[in-house]
Amino acid sequence: MNDYIIETKQLSKRYKGRFAVSNLNLRITRGDIYGFLGPNGAGKTTTIRMLLGLIKPTKGSVHLFGQSLDKHKIEILRKVGSLVEYPSYYGHLTAVDNMEAIRRIIDVPRTKIAEVLEIVGLTKDARRSVKGYSLGMKQRLGIASALLGNPELLILDEPTNGLDPAGILEIRELIKEMPKQHGITVLISSHLLSEVEQMAGTVGIIRQGELVFQDTIENLRRKSEGSMSLAVSEPAAAVQQLLGQGKRAILSNHVVKLDNLSDEEVAGCVKLLVEQGHSIYRVEENRKSLEELFLHVTEGGARS
Amino acid sequence: MIGKALRADWLKIRGKGLWLLAFIAPTGLIAMQALNYGLRYDYLMNLYADDPWGELLKNIVLFVPISLFLGETLISSLLANIEHHMSSWKQLLALPVSRSAVFGAKFIIAVILLSFSCLLLSIGAVALGAALKFPLDSIPYGDILRIGFLPFAASMPMLSVSLWLCLSYKNQSLPVTFGVIIAIVSMFSMSMSEYLPINWPLFSYYGPQQELFVGAGLISGLLILLLGAQHFARKDVN
Repeated sequence: MNDYIIETKQLSKRYKGRFAVSNLNLRITRGDIYGFLGPNGAGKTTTIRMLLGLIKPTKGSVHLFGQSLDKHKIEILRKVGSLVEYPSYYGHLTAVDNMEAIRRIIDVPRTKIAEVLEIVGLTKDARRSVKGYSLGMKQRLGIASALLGNPELLILDEPTNGLDPAGILEIRELIKEMPKQHGITVLISSHLLSEVEQMAGTVGIIRQGELVFQDTIENLRRKSEGSMSLAVSEPAAAVQQLLGQGKRAILSNHVVKLDNLSDEEVAGCVKLLVEQGHSIYRVEENRKSLEELFLHVTEGGARS
Repeated sequence: MIGKALRADWLKIRGKGLWLLAFIAPTGLIAMQALNYGLRYDYLMNLYADDPWGELLKNIVLFVPISLFLGETLISSLLANIEHHMSSWKQLLALPVSRSAVFGAKFIIAVILLSFSCLLLSIGAVALGAALKFPLDSIPYGDILRIGFLPFAASMPMLSVSLWLCLSYKNQSLPVTFGVIIAIVSMFSMSMSEYLPINWPLFSYYGPQQELFVGAGLISGLLILLLGAQHFARKDVN
């Protein structure tokens, strides 16, 4: 028995001959925040719908809490809170009644409603009918519904859609606290890496229905390590001398570029150039931003 | 489990005009007869002198099938729209509740609403009869209850089909058009075979062999309901 809260094997879904999701092997460990990333239309929502049993996979299996979703659906869903895409709500009812409609099915004490509305900051508007809410408030209501059943696993599909920066920050802080305070595992999807990188422990990147990256955020960062560029008085000669020492230097735009060096190696190169009589004007590090790396991965470059 | 889904639905139909519809339909039927009798009171009282209650009920029941077909269509559509409107299916069906329970709860809500209409029709008939000064010592309570409930039982297949279509398709124009056509055709189909399900509601009151039509309606309604629930349990929710 492993401790994966979510494990999918070869999960695939075909729509009209085209695979929206193909051979997805997701692995999400207990207590983790998993950032599920991909551009719009990559298959994130389709995957999430399959995780919740809303649509049937064409092929492959979903196991949540080590149990087959196919066989123990009700039992599993009791431990899952979800928010799929844009929020669902009953516009003619107040926030409290919306919650009550869900509470009557999942059977938690009535006091829980006020508690979750407080968490998402809707207490003041709880008695207004939801159709008058702003998009951000509806989104919060959706998050409140997801929290209502004391879930062990939260599945949030683009939860910060339509929120203003302050709201995004608030929700982010809220989600960060989930594993720490309540031991909740979180799967959060987004098309923005920047939104997820500050809270996720693991990220999975999906492109055209295929998982192209799945690893810890540290390993993703490591991949983004950049190059050093040295501005020197005679760049062409400097490159020759560095190449002579077995360093992989290239000349670009009158600047010497060095890829993937440790601190010691950089120091060694600089020392060498100084000893050879070069004047060194600047030593700069060019970091690839995670966002660039993300674009690189999602646009069909590197796969790992 | 179906009880939980039912309690949730009970809350959700609030303020959606479903109760209003269930109230207006029978009230309208009674008002129509009030007008009919009001305009030619002396003539009709003379004509129906032998059995004023029975003839009043016959006048009312003529319009019961079309009202039932329309009512079943509209109630199904309004019920389905509560979930379709803001795509609440994805939230509702990700809750720990079986899909057949969700489907069954909607059906029961529709039956409760329509039963309320039938009961109101019976009460209205008594009130109208009393207002028209019919003999109060010979009120045929049995027949009065039967004018609504028997045709309703015989029209169950329509409710099942309509609910199935409305819950399955987000676009309600197909199921509503279907229901309206059935309702209109039912006004003119009496000359056709009694095997035709749209004729069952009227035959279930007129007889002979009323119980056959009621039974056929209940059984086929239940069968279609089970088929619908099966389909609903397997379909993808987008």
